[in-house]
Amino acid sequence: MSLRIGVEPRARPALPVRLGVPIASLAAAGLVGAVVIVISGANPLDAYQTMLDSSLKGWRPLTRTLVLATPLILTGLAAAVAFRMKVWNIGAEGQLYMGAIAAAGLAVALPSGTPKVLMLLVILVAGAVAGALWAGLAALPKAYFNTNEVITTLMLNFVALYFMNYLIFGSVSFWRDPQATFPQGKIIPEAALLPIISHRLHYGLLIALGAALVLWWSLRGTTWGFELRTIGDSPAASRYAGMSVRGKILSVLALSGALAGLAGAIEVSGVLKTLDPRAIATELGFTGIVVAAVARLNPLGVVPVAVLLGAVVASGTNLQTIGIEAEIVFLLQGLIFLFVASGEFFLSNRLVFSRPASAVGSA
Amino acid sequence: MNDTVLVLSIVSAIVAGTPILFATLGEILTERSGVMNLGVEGMMLIGGVTGFWAGVQTGNLWLALLAGGLAGAVLSGIHALLAISLRVNQIVSGLALVIVGGGLSAFWGNSGDAPLIQSFNGVRVEPLLPEALRDLPAVGPIVFGHDPVVYLSWLIVAAAGYFLYRTTPGLSLRAVGEDPAAADAAGLSVTGIRYLFTLVGGFGAGVGGAYLALVVLGTWQTGLTAGAGWIAVALVILAGWRPWLALLASYVFGALRTLGFTLQIAGVEVPSDFLNMIPFVVTFLVVIVVSANPERARRVGAPASLGEPYSREAR
Repeated sequence: MSLRIGVEPRARPALPVRLGVPIASLAAAGLVGAVVIVISGANPLDAYQTMLDSSLKGWRPLTRTLVLATPLILTGLAAAVAFRMKVWNIGAEGQLYMGAIAAAGLAVALPSGTPKVLMLLVILVAGAVAGALWAGLAALPKAYFNTNEVITTLMLNFVALYFMNYLIFGSVSFWRDPQATFPQGKIIPEAALLPIISHRLHYGLLIALGAALVLWWSLRGTTWGFELRTIGDSPAASRYAGMSVRGKILSVLALSGALAGLAGAIEVSGVLKTLDPRAIATELGFTGIVVAAVARLNPLGVVPVAVLLGAVVASGTNLQTIGIEAEIVFLLQGLIFLFVASGEFFLSNRLVFSRPASAVGSA
Repeated sequence: MNDTVLVLSIVSAIVAGTPILFATLGEILTERSGVMNLGVEGMMLIGGVTGFWAGVQTGNLWLALLAGGLAGAVLSGIHALLAISLRVNQIVSGLALVIVGGGLSAFWGNSGDAPLIQSFNGVRVEPLLPEALRDLPAVGPIVFGHDPVVYLSWLIVAAAGYFLYRTTPGLSLRAVGEDPAAADAAGLSVTGIRYLFTLVGGFGAGVGGAYLALVVLGTWQTGLTAGAGWIAVALVILAGWRPWLALLASYVFGALRTLGFTLQIAGVEVPSDFLNMIPFVVTFLVVIVVSANPERARRVGAPASLGEPYSREAR
C-alpha cells in the first residue's frame, strides 16, 4: 500500500514547531559534524565535550565566549535588519574593517589626554559612521539603479581587506607603528580602551545588547520598522501605499553598515588595542549572517545565537589540543547555516501523509 | 618576441582566467534554468581540495579535474535540494554553500598525517601542440602554447553557445528559466531540468577550482580562490548570460589578477595590495555601470524567473 506525501503551506506555526525546528536543525548539524570528525579519525563525543568545557563551563571560559559573541551580536543584527527588508548586505565583513580602521585612526590621532568618555564616544561613533559610509557605496547604486547589492557589497569586502592590509603591511601609514621591527599598528592610548567587566570581558557586550534591544523595539514599535517589514514582504504594494522604498534602502543599508562598523570599533577598543588586520579578519561579518539566519532575523534571537556561535568559535583552539583541526569550527558553522535554512521549509510548510482513495478502498 | 611583456601577460591572463571561465560557464547554465547559485566560491574550494587530493593520489590531470568537478557537483546538489525542492531562499542557500565549502576544504586540507597544505602535486601538464607551432611569433604562445585543458575550455564555450541557441534541449533550458509555468504546461520537467543544470554548474565550478589548485598555483592553500568564485558570479551578469562573452570577460579578469606580474616585468612598482584590489574595484564599477542604463540592463537580459522557486500548486 502506498503512502502519498503531500506538501501544504501553513500560516503561523505553533510555538513547539517554531522552537523545535531550529533545535532539530542544530542537532542535525551536530550529527553531520560528528560524521566528519569520525572520518578524520577522532572521537566526536570527545570533540563536543571539549567544545562545551572550553567555552561554557565555568566563568572564565564563559567570559571568553562572550567576548567572541559581542561582535557577532552586532554583525548578526547588521544582517538581520537588512535581510528583514530583503536587502542582501553581504558586506558586513568589509564594513567592520572600515569601522576598525576609523576607530583605530582616531584613537591614535586624538590627544591621549582626551577624557575617556569623550574618546570612547568619538571612536565608536566614528566606527559606526565609517561602516555606514562604506555600506553607502553599495546602497546608492542599489537605491538609484537597482544594482545587485549582493555583488557590490561583496566586492567592497575585498577592497576593504586589501586597504586595511595596505595600511599595516604595505606601507608606513599613519596607522603603523614606525618603531616596531615587524609591521604592526600603533597601540591606542589608555583612554580609548573600553572598560573591563571581568577577565577580558569588556563593556562592548552591553553596547551590543543595547543595540539588540533598540533594534527589536524599532522593528516592532515604530512606523519605520513597520514600513521596513512591509517593503520586505511586498515592495510593489509598499510603493503603491506611498512608502519611500529608495529612502528605506538607503537607511537600512546605512544602519546595517553602522552596526558592522561599530563591531569593528569595539573589537579595536575592547580586544585588540590596535589595528591588527590578521586578528580582525576572522569572518566575523560572514558568521553574523549565520547568526541572523539561525535567529530567524529576530534581533532578540540574535543574542543567544551569537553566544552559541561564539562558543563554537571559542572552542576552536582547544580542539587542536585533542588533534582536531580548528577549521572544523567553520565547517560546523556552515552546517548549522545549511540545516537551519532547510528548516525554514518545515516552518512554512507541513507534510501531509495520506493514502490515495483507491488504495484505501482495496484494503 | 615571444618573451615580450605583452605576449607574456596575455598568456598569463589566459591561464589565470581559465578557472574563472569554467566557473562562469557553469553558473551561466545554472542561472539559465532559473536557479541562482551564489555558492560558486565554496564549490570551487571543495573542487580545488578534492582535485588536488586526487592529483596527489593518481598523478593524472584528467582524473583530478573529474574528481574536482564531481565534488563541486555534490555540493551544488545540496543547493538544488534546498533551492528547488525545499524552496529555501536561494541567496541564503548559496551563502551556506560558501561557508560549508570553505570550512570543509580548509578542514580537509589541514587534516591527517600528510596534510595537503604542505604537499606538491605530481600532476604534469604539457602543452598540447608541437613545438614548431608554439614557436611562431606572438600567436605561438598566445594561441598554440597552452595545455589541453585550455583548448577543452574553448571547445566547451563553443558547445555551450551551440547548445543554448541551436538545440531543442537548449531551448528547453532557456524556457524553464524564462517561464517555468509555460515550460511545465508544455510538458517539460521544470524540477528535473533545474536539478540537472544546478549540478552542471557545480561541476564547472569544481573543475575550475581543481585547475586553479593543480595548474595555475600548483599547490593547495586554505581559501586559495581568494574571491575568484565571487568574480565568476559577477561575470555571469557582465557577460549577459552568454558563453562567448564569458570567455572574453574571464580573460580580462585573468589579466587583472595577473596585473602585478605584468607590471613587475614591465618595471612599474605599484603596492601589491592595490593590485589585489583591482579586479574587485573593476567588478564593483562595471556592475553599477551595467545597471545604470535601464535600456542596456533589459537587453542584457537575466532569465526572467532567476532566483524564484517554482511550485505548480502556488500558481
